[in-house]
Amino acid sequence: MLLQTKKLCKQFGGMYALKDIDFEIAEGEIHGLVGENGAGKSTLIKILTGVYSLDSGEVWWNGSPVRIENPRQSRDIGINVIHQDRNLIPAFSGVENVYLGMDYEKKAGFAVDWAKMKARVEAVMRELKVEIDLSLPASALSPPQRTLLEIVRAMMTECRLLILDEPTASLTDKEAEMLFETIGKLKARGTAILYVTHRMDEIFRLTDRITVFKNGQSAGTVRTADVDKDAIISMMTDNWVSETLTVSRKYGEVLLDAEHIASRDGIVKDASLTVRAGEILGVFGLGGSGRTELLECIYGYRPAEKGSVTLCGRQIAHPSPGGSIKNGMVLICEDRRGKALVGSLSVKQNTVLSTIDSYARFGVVNERKELSDTREKIEALSIKTEGPNQTVLQLSGGNQQKVVFAKALMSRPKVLLCDEPTQAVDVKTRAEIHKLLRRLADAGSAVVFVSSDLKEVLEATDNVQVMAGGRTKERFVNDGLTAEQVLACCYAN
Amino acid sequence: MKQKAGVSELLRAYGTIFAGILIVIVFSVMRPDAFFTMGNLVNITRQISLLVIIALGATLVMSVEEFDLSVGALASLGGVIGAKMAVAGAPIFLCFIAPVVICFAIGFVNGWIVTKFRVLSFITTLAMSTILGGFTFWFTGGATVFQDIPKSFTYVGTKTVLGAPILSIIMLLLTVVFWFVMRHTAFGRKLYAIGGNEAASQVSGINVKKYKNLAFALCASLAALTGVLMASRLGSAHPTGGDGLFLQSYAAAFLGRTVFREGVPNIWGTFVGAAILGVLANGLTILQVPTFMQDLLTGCIIILAVVVQKIGRGDAK
Repeated sequence: MLLQTKKLCKQFGGMYALKDIDFEIAEGEIHGLVGENGAGKSTLIKILTGVYSLDSGEVWWNGSPVRIENPRQSRDIGINVIHQDRNLIPAFSGVENVYLGMDYEKKAGFAVDWAKMKARVEAVMRELKVEIDLSLPASALSPPQRTLLEIVRAMMTECRLLILDEPTASLTDKEAEMLFETIGKLKARGTAILYVTHRMDEIFRLTDRITVFKNGQSAGTVRTADVDKDAIISMMTDNWVSETLTVSRKYGEVLLDAEHIASRDGIVKDASLTVRAGEILGVFGLGGSGRTELLECIYGYRPAEKGSVTLCGRQIAHPSPGGSIKNGMVLICEDRRGKALVGSLSVKQNTVLSTIDSYARFGVVNERKELSDTREKIEALSIKTEGPNQTVLQLSGGNQQKVVFAKALMSRPKVLLCDEPTQAVDVKTRAEIHKLLRRLADAGSAVVFVSSDLKEVLEATDNVQVMAGGRTKERFVNDGLTAEQVLACCYAN
Repeated sequence: MKQKAGVSELLRAYGTIFAGILIVIVFSVMRPDAFFTMGNLVNITRQISLLVIIALGATLVMSVEEFDLSVGALASLGGVIGAKMAVAGAPIFLCFIAPVVICFAIGFVNGWIVTKFRVLSFITTLAMSTILGGFTFWFTGGATVFQDIPKSFTYVGTKTVLGAPILSIIMLLLTVVFWFVMRHTAFGRKLYAIGGNEAASQVSGINVKKYKNLAFALCASLAALTGVLMASRLGSAHPTGGDGLFLQSYAAAFLGRTVFREGVPNIWGTFVGAAILGVLANGLTILQVPTFMQDLLTGCIIILAVVVQKIGRGDAK
């Protein structure tokens, strides 16, 4: 075996990200790695590439144990990784990008020998039958060309294990073909390839063996020829079944109707969703399915190319955050520090951020009312804080998230778009947030609940809308719904 | 997490103010006859008035995390427009209002280019500064405007009311107004929110572009006002008369950032910053320290203040 891990463990804050992972890959093998969001795939990659250190267990390389302590060491022994977010410098030419982090060839000890560098890169390209114009800056290359350029870079040094992390995420089918061809060449050369993807058809087309991760543990390794898609999906999940509804819910009128949304950046391709008063609609999709982007388009934060949004019966011609709030829709962003809170400001100022105009008379803010309203929200959501004037970043993650909710509730929304509302919050806050959303729905609001945690979606929502590849797929009634059903829909072509 | 009000904590929060007081004490001890007199103190308020007013504008733009490098050129242009109008016999109040309105529009263009095309404000306003410099030169033929300026145009810049220079009164009024605006109005809150986190402000429904444009426009208006007031004080307007105020205004605003605990641009901070610069210039002149020494000292003090602030916030590596 080229690479073996033995009882590999990695913990983050007391939680196992990886537990007792036994994994192996042989020379010339294409090995697929699949698993749900958060199953531990990225953690394994980061350990193999020296980004994370391991807590316990061993990594064996070529039959002897190795310690990989930093990315440099990992590259030196022959492991290279190509991420979906490509590591190319846009303004650099092909040759310059390939030589990033490598010593340039020199003439007479100091002058850069461009001709020799170009010749070396071209030699590797010929071997892999890759054709790229090396004089162009990376920004002028197509997405598959960029990936190929990275593969060329990896092959410049002795690369024996190439890790491809979602390499086709942003490629069209035709573009992906180019990549597959090159992967075939690499395999023939004896390079081992660890192929990480959500796309089942690629897994079955390319790989020799498949390892399935589930909740940080290995659910087993199988030979690709021996299994089919359904078997893999059932290995990936504990197959939770949502509880059968004890009360049949009565929904009111449609409060939000989004039709055929496409984002200008092409991430959301054709997505529609409908939520009614009293309903919590779960939106589930794998990484890169466009969940976050869809919500941002509906809300008006991300420019949309196509589609229509109808809010409380009124068609919104040009959605904008300000307009959405005015019309009764709020967005709880996934990126709490980046897009939801102004970290330098106080709890109070964050709470009233989107409603500040309603506190102002002739532009002057009524600070007494502002303070009492904030106090009321602190009380209602039991936010743990020294007081309204504490800087919001000093609060714990869970309490910060409550401030985000406090801000959202200030405008008395009818529709709440919640993107990963329980991400990085403690268990207690998580339960409180679920309860809060249910209370809001019971009071006649419509809630869209996006989570990458399928179990949570099955727990907390009434209906589940599946998204994959920027498109909305099937919509399930969450009544005895199983994780397998949802995942099968995600992986359907 | 109650913070202990230790000596070091106090120094960090109010170090700049202490330094300012220290400077005043040193000058007072060295030249009690010339420095610490009512006459000189009043004189200082007049000397810093122009710097304070232009720096208020810079503070507005800094509060949304942008820069306006064209404030100096705007002041020059404002002064020249006002003076030319006065020479042409326009009503005096119009000579003060028109440059402010014109530069409001120019500032809006600055903001529009920055927000619409997402160009760095640094580059946009640098280019605008060059354009305005060229325009002002063409407008004046490169000559100072001084002939036939009516006496009434210079009243605001030279006269006093109850012993207080009108310039000082205007400075104080504007400082109080903009302090109130930044501290107690929805407008000010939004500017600070945008400066704190632009994306979060946008998601919260704040029209980021509009408020940034307004910050640029107000900044330009204040710069133009500074320029006219300068022309009124000197009784003449030089085509590059306001240029020197540009670096000074940012020095004052950066010093001001260090004055209060938040480490964000703030109006009274800027006032204190400008005052420190003014006191230094005044005191060193009285002590007959050569100009080059004054520049050396001023620069060192600014760097010191900013470094101390960074250490205080634990940002230093």
